[in-house]
Amino acid sequence: MSPRLLPSRALTTAALAAAAVLALTACTSGGAPDADATPVEGGTLTYATGDAEPTCLDPHVGGNYPQALVATQYAESLVSTDSDGAIIPWLATEWQVADDGLSWTFTLRDDVSFTDGTPFDAAAVAANVAHVQDPATLSSTGYLALAKVTGVEAVDEHTARFDLSAPDSALLESLSQPWLAMESPEALGRSQEENCESPVGTGPFVVDEWTKQQQITFTRNDDYVSPPADAGHEGPAHLESVVWRFIPDSAARYAALQAGQVDVIDNAQPDTLVAAASDDQLTEIDAPRPGASNRLELNSGKAPFDDERVREAFIRGVDVDDAVDSLFFGTAERSYSPLSSVEPLAYGDPSLFEVDADAAGDLLDEAGWSQRDSEGYRTKDGTRLSLTFPVSTNQSIPAEQSLFEQIQAGAKTLGFEVVLQPLDLSSWYGALASDDYDLVSAPYTKVGPDVLRILFDSSGITPAPSGYFANHAQLSDPALDDLLQRATETTDPDERADLYEQAQQVVLDSYTVLPLYDQQNHYLVRSSVTGVRALPPVSAVTLYDASRTD
Amino acid sequence: MTPPAPTDQATPTTTRRRARLTAALRWTTGRLVGALVVLWAVATLIFFAIRLVPGDPAEAILGGPGSQASDEAIALVREQYGLDQPLLVQYLAQLGRLATGDLGTSYSLRTGVAGLLLDQLPGTLLLAVASLVVAWAIALGTAWWATLGGRVAAAVSSTLEIIASAVPHFWLASVLVLVLSTQLGLLPPVSTGTPAGLVLPVVTLAVPVAGFLGQVTRDSLLDAAAAPFAVSARARGESRSGLFRRHLLRHAALPGLALSGWAFGSLLSGAVVVESVFARPGLGRTLLGAVTLRDIPLVTGVALVSALAYVVVVALGDLAERAVDPRERAT
Repeated sequence: MSPRLLPSRALTTAALAAAAVLALTACTSGGAPDADATPVEGGTLTYATGDAEPTCLDPHVGGNYPQALVATQYAESLVSTDSDGAIIPWLATEWQVADDGLSWTFTLRDDVSFTDGTPFDAAAVAANVAHVQDPATLSSTGYLALAKVTGVEAVDEHTARFDLSAPDSALLESLSQPWLAMESPEALGRSQEENCESPVGTGPFVVDEWTKQQQITFTRNDDYVSPPADAGHEGPAHLESVVWRFIPDSAARYAALQAGQVDVIDNAQPDTLVAAASDDQLTEIDAPRPGASNRLELNSGKAPFDDERVREAFIRGVDVDDAVDSLFFGTAERSYSPLSSVEPLAYGDPSLFEVDADAAGDLLDEAGWSQRDSEGYRTKDGTRLSLTFPVSTNQSIPAEQSLFEQIQAGAKTLGFEVVLQPLDLSSWYGALASDDYDLVSAPYTKVGPDVLRILFDSSGITPAPSGYFANHAQLSDPALDDLLQRATETTDPDERADLYEQAQQVVLDSYTVLPLYDQQNHYLVRSSVTGVRALPPVSAVTLYDASRTD
Repeated sequence: MTPPAPTDQATPTTTRRRARLTAALRWTTGRLVGALVVLWAVATLIFFAIRLVPGDPAEAILGGPGSQASDEAIALVREQYGLDQPLLVQYLAQLGRLATGDLGTSYSLRTGVAGLLLDQLPGTLLLAVASLVVAWAIALGTAWWATLGGRVAAAVSSTLEIIASAVPHFWLASVLVLVLSTQLGLLPPVSTGTPAGLVLPVVTLAVPVAGFLGQVTRDSLLDAAAAPFAVSARARGESRSGLFRRHLLRHAALPGLALSGWAFGSLLSGAVVVESVFARPGLGRTLLGAVTLRDIPLVTGVALVSALAYVVVVALGDLAERAVDPRERAT
């Protein structure tokens, strides 16, 4: 049998071009009356980010979302995804997986160079994978995504073969992530300090200067030839340069946007989005991040949530809908899935989350939490029904923290005491590591449903030496582990979809997860700019198609 | 007649000069020792305080939210940064480094702390010094008005001072941006590096400090105005503003000058909020990021530099007091 051939470049290009045009019109329809006009060449766009300033601009080092945002401007991946989540060509034009699933062969574009002049070829791909896998690089996200890759062989100048220790149905999704973007091997050879300051990719812009705490300036890559298959145009970017400012305060960011001091902002908060909706100078791009939905996880590893009845009572007894609606002013849609709605394989079941306070009360009585103390909280054998809820103030936006307070109030009427503990990031990691939580909300961004394996496979309960682990629900179900394992290994898309649906059913049925909404990611764009869009793999903004209209 | 033989006997003038020199020397030595103790205490406090809080710097070094570090990477980071050593060893090693003037390497930014601080110090110093000057200007302005403007002025200015000293920075910043930037479009809402971009951050920082300085200055100003020397100066034909400038100010400024060291410290801590809100680079923002990431060398560096700046400003305040008040020099 011949190796399985996935969609080739020829097949996809035409369809994707059409899809891209549709997607782009949808994105810019709000405030861009002259979207059909020829884009203006040149000019500078000022972008203001509310994400933390990266400590290193090379996304191989560490690997968080702020780095993904910056990397998307100057570096590119082997593949991308379209707005439906399907894999599309980028620096690789086509790919084949061997029958045994243990090797993938990528055909690379032969006309691309890094912006320092180094040619992009199979050796460069091998060097990048080696760089991510080198412990000295201190990669976390990229390293994890390449866990099954044992090495990359340059078959010829423009053919690279990835060898795997086990089949990995998520490999293409992993490779679409900016944390595995291709960088110049020449540049990677410099010291890490230097590469962090001025990394070199193949992207539409070049990192020009990084003024700490202030801004990064990018200049146009005039030799650019390699947009992803769903881009709006070909050739170099329209903009001459981009100023990437760090403005941590949400209100300040919005004020700067209104004043025209900046053209695009990210991390627009619910109140800002409502204000912006009535401003015809501003357009919103709503681009949820992929991976897991934002959700509460119930620690089933210890009392009281080791009793499924107590978990079910909490999930079915606390009304979340109204709180989400009022605190987010309708900007966030309620989710019923462990996966983000941008994941094509996301599966949800609203019926599990229909609120029935009476039934919840009965469940708690049944579980023995039938007494009430002087403050109205339920007790069992003299112990109060108390839940510890560490909240990461770095990761939960103010509206979300208010939501948790509403949940606290709702749970109180049921007889649960919810103890909210606002913590900074490191303390929050510490609380999780010492199993000092009953409820937790932890975002997880990753492309594809394989995130379920990270979050819910029983192996994720064992903490790493750092104390970090991802299975916060402490779900330990051999049947679920088996489903996730088979989903990882299958090469049949239909079987994969089916397995992941079953896995999500098991997760939802366990009442360890209360989905809230997608990981929010809203951009606001001034009408003086068109063509800004979120690049699907991780919904990071791309300014390649952007141009000024003034 | 032979001229008197030169003797070692010092004239009364040189004795006094020598005594003053000794006093100055003692003052300086005391200051230096004090400064060293303060710096050591700051370094020690910071080191242990940041370790008492749960959380692993290694995890934060490797990317923070949304990323997950491998065991190998964690182990390597621990080793590379000496985090696997016993706490006391880490403390002594850090103290040893600091003693030789080596501020170490930032965990998160992977570059020398000294260089990072040198980059960020000027911005914050400019902000703090400009705010202190503006605060003094506002304080003296209202005090002057309160003394000369009659009972209504005194009541209004004292109310304003209380409100000003109670206003939180983040609220004042939001209101100033809303009114002066968003509504009137007069000033940029986030810093630009131009003088116009400095106005809002400086005013935000200066107003609460001006409230405090104004209160103490006005009180002593009113006391001085009621003193006999003020009456006799007026009787000699001194004008009201001349009285204010030449006689009262000298008295009234003393408590304020003594507070300037404190005010500078409060400006440095206010810089954390103001630099974040107005997106200005500086030590305050560096500190915020460093604390979040458990970047011990960087936090220590910022704290030491702030402590040093504080010590210097307090010393300058003392000197200014001595210059203004002859009684101080007698000792």
